[in-house]
Amino acid sequence: MEQKTSLADALRETISENLAATIILVATAVLAVWLGISAGLSQVIISLVTGGMWALMAVGLALVFGVMNVPHFAHGESFMVGAFVAYFVFTPIRDYLAQNPNPALTAVAPFAGMIAAALAGAVLGVILERLLFYPLRIKSRAGEWVMNAFLLTVGISFVMTNGARLLIGATFRGIPGYWLVPPLEILGTRIAVDRVMAFAIALVSIAALWFFLGRTRTGRAIRAVSQDEVGAQMMGINLNFIFPLTFSLATAMAALAGASLLFMFQAYPTVGLTPLYFAWFVVMMAGLGNVAGAIVGGFIVAVFQTATQQFAGIAWTDVIPTALMIVILLVVPFGIFGSEMEE
Amino acid sequence: MLELTNLDASYGFLQVLWDVSLHVDDGEFVGLIGPNGAGKSTTLKTIAGLLTPKGGKVLFKGKSMNAVPAHRTTQMGISYISEDLNLFVDMSVRENLLMGAYTVKDPERQLETLDFVFELFPRLEERKGQRAGTMSGGERKMLAIARGMMSNPELLLVDEPSLGLAPHLVTDVFNSLKRLQEAGVTLMLVEQRVNATLEITDRAYVLEQGKIVMEGPSSELIENKHIKDAYLGI
Amino acid sequence: MTSVELELRQRQAQAGIYGTIKAMLHRLGFTPLGLALLVGVAVLPVVPYFRQEHILRWLVAGALLAGQAAAFDFTAGYINVVNFGFAAILGVGAYTSAILANEMPFLIVQPGISPWIGIWIGGLVAGLLGLGLGWLTLRLRGIYAAVMAWFVGLALLGLVRNLTPLTRGALGLSPPTLLPGAGNLPYFYIIFGMMLVVYVVLRQVTLSHVGLAFKAIGQNIGAAKASGINPTYYRVLNFALSCAFAGWLGGFYAHYYASLTPATLMHTSKTVEVLAIAYIGGRGSLWGGMVLAFPFVFFIQHLRSTFTDLPGLHLVIYGALMILVMIFYPDGLSGLWEATLEKVRSALSKS
Repeated sequence: MEQKTSLADALRETISENLAATIILVATAVLAVWLGISAGLSQVIISLVTGGMWALMAVGLALVFGVMNVPHFAHGESFMVGAFVAYFVFTPIRDYLAQNPNPALTAVAPFAGMIAAALAGAVLGVILERLLFYPLRIKSRAGEWVMNAFLLTVGISFVMTNGARLLIGATFRGIPGYWLVPPLEILGTRIAVDRVMAFAIALVSIAALWFFLGRTRTGRAIRAVSQDEVGAQMMGINLNFIFPLTFSLATAMAALAGASLLFMFQAYPTVGLTPLYFAWFVVMMAGLGNVAGAIVGGFIVAVFQTATQQFAGIAWTDVIPTALMIVILLVVPFGIFGSEMEE
Repeated sequence: MLELTNLDASYGFLQVLWDVSLHVDDGEFVGLIGPNGAGKSTTLKTIAGLLTPKGGKVLFKGKSMNAVPAHRTTQMGISYISEDLNLFVDMSVRENLLMGAYTVKDPERQLETLDFVFELFPRLEERKGQRAGTMSGGERKMLAIARGMMSNPELLLVDEPSLGLAPHLVTDVFNSLKRLQEAGVTLMLVEQRVNATLEITDRAYVLEQGKIVMEGPSSELIENKHIKDAYLGI
Repeated sequence: MTSVELELRQRQAQAGIYGTIKAMLHRLGFTPLGLALLVGVAVLPVVPYFRQEHILRWLVAGALLAGQAAAFDFTAGYINVVNFGFAAILGVGAYTSAILANEMPFLIVQPGISPWIGIWIGGLVAGLLGLGLGWLTLRLRGIYAAVMAWFVGLALLGLVRNLTPLTRGALGLSPPTLLPGAGNLPYFYIIFGMMLVVYVVLRQVTLSHVGLAFKAIGQNIGAAKASGINPTYYRVLNFALSCAFAGWLGGFYAHYYASLTPATLMHTSKTVEVLAIAYIGGRGSLWGGMVLAFPFVFFIQHLRSTFTDLPGLHLVIYGALMILVMIFYPDGLSGLWEATLEKVRSALSKS
């Protein structure tokens, strides 16, 4: 008898969890269609582009939480670093090209900026992990790690934004676009090539990450650590290799997002705040640490965001999605796709 | 193969093991029995590198293991199957087994071991695509043991495999351990089922309140009065 | 060290008039040393250096930060929930009082209520918001509660920014001051008094059985429930009190600086500033952040005026200090002090 009730409970729980996910997904689809009808296809495409980027940000956030149990508050600063690196690598090449036209270099230059940003992010990730999280892990008492790590990232965020202000200055550094070619015609709508490329980059990076996590020995090891840290050690997995690697990957992805969105978000010390908010919306909605959920969630949040901009005005972009997120969190505290924190 | 000398171990301020000395020789099947909370699991965790000993020595194939972390002990040939199993619940059976072979870099050898393990536990082959988290208790135990085999260990440490299993499954699990010994693996088994343990092991140690109180060939221990009174309830 | 020894020796003297006074002080939440420090800060303006108007402004900023740190720690250090929307709540208190005081035509309402009354209403509104926030975060633990509070803070910030008829949005408000035409000295004593009230009230609560319940909930909510503590009541109460004081201090901010914008008041980075002080000062002590606040404001302001060509340097140091404390001494200043006292005590008892 007892077993039956617990089974029924479990069933009801699964349904109610899926119910939340279903409602949100349907609402997103309806909103996207409505957006397309009333505001044109371009708005839908904008949602897709932003969605890809939020997904790229949120995946890193989810990974870092899932594997290392770090609620990463300085993830936006990785975005900022990526934007600056891309700016300082790309613009000199562009200026050089203005003097010495060279079609091959013109095609490669944007990628040079982005790859440099991703590499810088990867290196930064390793340094931060070894320099700060490693000693914290050794010193932290059991049960206090998550909050301590969170506060540590708050400190990192403060140092990095203000450090950037100190070193680079508080001027906006942006570019009109990476690819100075006429916009593409897609289904009767003109879309800037930069947007298309940003979307493609997000998709390719996420697909590559997915392949890496699912199909390679090291990727599996990362997933193993996120599912059972002790078990992973018993298999011979060195946490001191997995943690820096994971942090490095997440930082690189955020930096890549910052680089490929340089035409939308000018490089600035606090440019990471908005991406950070939205990445956090995504992971909290999807379920903290849920990597697959973060990908879908990125697009959901982007649709909400674009719809808010379209129907309520740009000033409300922060307020309405935030209010929605609060409601979602109230109903399903562990996110619509479930979190590993859940018991 | 394995030698513990005067081992002390503790969790924080709470000392659990006092002056434990034991040895396991090549190809042997050794049991470690004792009541709940005696420190049996702690002994295995210390050998596996999950716990750093406070005093004494752990020698494996003549090398000191005192400061060797858990992931290195696996690479050196020790495989530990914990009481909590520590399965990767969101991975399939096959993926769990491949994780077990993480230290084996040659893919062909991985697949060979996989075949061997599937032969040992045909049930796992039937369920190789299933998520580990959705399996029954007995199947999980089998998966954990099979996963522990995947690194081709020289020494296998098994912690309470019978816990929570139906009696006929316990027999299955014990038989598979015996088969592993026949395949050349050295085993150390921690168990509360004293009778069954003494029947399949070559030698055994009795651990009470963190101290070794008795040791000897299993066939002799099974006749011992203290063992009979305290554990066999005869 | 001598003052420590002195204190210890005096503590050992059980009877006598001094003992009685000490017991009374203790009931109020002061140690003799703490009281001495307070009196010291209170008489600082006697010293000519501290009587300079710009230095008095720093003292005001110090007392304001000290009060905030205590109110923040009341939640973070006792029920173990980081109120990441703290600055937004404080901002709501400030805006409430500022709007109530408005007599100008550029807002849709001109209540013209005296700031002396308004700051109490601001505190009340913030307290009610805190009640709501406590309820919202009730089911959530640790990082989830912190993020929820953060989202609420962001939503409040966005609201204030968007309700332009009431707040003029990003342009901000210029509310009337508490004492038109007065110098900084009276303000210092007002905010010093407010800071004292915050501390004494919160200390009374933490010394009572309610404080015990807070600690129990903060350490292990399950065990607290099992021993009959109703976490709902205590968590909501804690949030309400902490936020009410935040809003009250916010009201002072509004009518002292006479300039409010959403970004300078309610931004997440403002919460982080308070959080950093509270944590570097030591969580769960109330006094750690307060003691730190004054020298900190002075240090930061000196840094700012010395390195005017290096904007943000003081904030980098802020963050770096916080990182170092988190890694190497998560118990903060108060933890260090307690540990030192303990050492001295054991050394004394041995000799």
